[in-house]
Amino acid sequence: MRDVRMGRRVFLGVVGAGVAGLFAGSRLSRAAAPLGSVVPNALHDLVPDGWRIYSVNPPWPVFDPATYRLTVAGAVENQLSLTWDEVMQLPQDTQTTDFHCVTGWTVGNVHWTGVRLQHLWDMAKPTAEARYANFISMEQPYVDTLSFKQTLLPEVMLGHSMDGQPLSRAHGAPMRLVIPEMYGYKNVKWLTRIDLVQTLNPGFWEQRGYDVDAWVGRSNGY
Amino acid sequence: MDAPTATEQSAFVRRFSPAERSLHWLLAVTFFAMLATGLILYLPALAQVAADRQMWKSIHLGAAIAFWGGTLLLLLSAPGELQRTARELDSFDEDDRRWLRWAVRRGTAEPPQGRFNAGQKLNTALIAGLMVVFTVSGTLMYLQETDASFRGTSAILVHDVAMYVAVPIVLGHLYLALVHPSTRHSLRGMAIGTVRRDWARRHHAKWEREV
Repeated sequence: MRDVRMGRRVFLGVVGAGVAGLFAGSRLSRAAAPLGSVVPNALHDLVPDGWRIYSVNPPWPVFDPATYRLTVAGAVENQLSLTWDEVMQLPQDTQTTDFHCVTGWTVGNVHWTGVRLQHLWDMAKPTAEARYANFISMEQPYVDTLSFKQTLLPEVMLGHSMDGQPLSRAHGAPMRLVIPEMYGYKNVKWLTRIDLVQTLNPGFWEQRGYDVDAWVGRSNGY
Repeated sequence: MDAPTATEQSAFVRRFSPAERSLHWLLAVTFFAMLATGLILYLPALAQVAADRQMWKSIHLGAAIAFWGGTLLLLLSAPGELQRTARELDSFDEDDRRWLRWAVRRGTAEPPQGRFNAGQKLNTALIAGLMVVFTVSGTLMYLQETDASFRGTSAILVHDVAMYVAVPIVLGHLYLALVHPSTRHSLRGMAIGTVRRDWARRHHAKWEREV
């Protein structure tokens, strides 16, 4: 028997599966997550994991230890302009945390060395007006923001070493904001300036509709 | 009357028209351009190469636009012709179903096939569907980047899964077209339009009888 509509059924089936995936995909992958442990490793390895390097205005900024300054300004009693040597003399901390990108990829167990923001605040002495901190990148016009309280979360730091190596140019040398509780776009790379301010200024991606409070798993439609 | 012998017939028969071949090669070139630039954007191992992601994205999108623009031009330049080809690909008869079973289990002689065998029909339908899925999910990915109202769909996941489905199909197609001894002759048909008549008789008997 000749079936003159077989090809289009296959075609429409593929299109239909794709459209269904658009609406049910994240629910399906969450439902399937417990299956992860029974999927053979070979299959896991098919999906590459590791860093993607995003920037908004290539080429990437270049770090020069001789001229670099970390500025802390705005609602503070003492404005700071620290050389790289001075940054490295601040008390150092380490942590091992996961990094989540809002586009869906994750890098687990990243080992960081860096400086807690409390040490900067101890020197700069924020005033009562300091309700938000704007983290400004050498890569213009990239900026993102945290509430002052969020800067003191236990796993927030300015990271300058990643997995035992000084932070590479691609990853934001010499230093990036690390806030593992939030998606990668909050983790400003090539950090050079922190402004403490009274009112919220949405960051680069937040001006394009992403959530200001970018909690992993609880924002941006996840 | 006896069937004509091979010497009485031309040694080659025309299998694919210029419009069919143009559409095939348009897809081939743009597909691999999108695959290469897509992998540069996707694979962490290539993340450092992809320093200028914006450029790779532009090439990726440019290839997609070239594919659909070119497809539209071909449809308009040969009105009706590609639609007839699509109808040919659309219809499966009993021999096609037997051919698919044969392709999996072998054991019997190859059931007679028309100008396209059932595997080629299936391949075309799957790839055509996947191109639509790539386009819809890719367009959403493009829009999501600048407009929050397009977020909330799993466009990236669907685009990735479509890639994992399409690549094995295309690799299988490449193997049959370039390597497998009994099928690789068809490359000639896609390159210059004609195939050997004796090859056509063996693999596409129902069509060969008519040309």
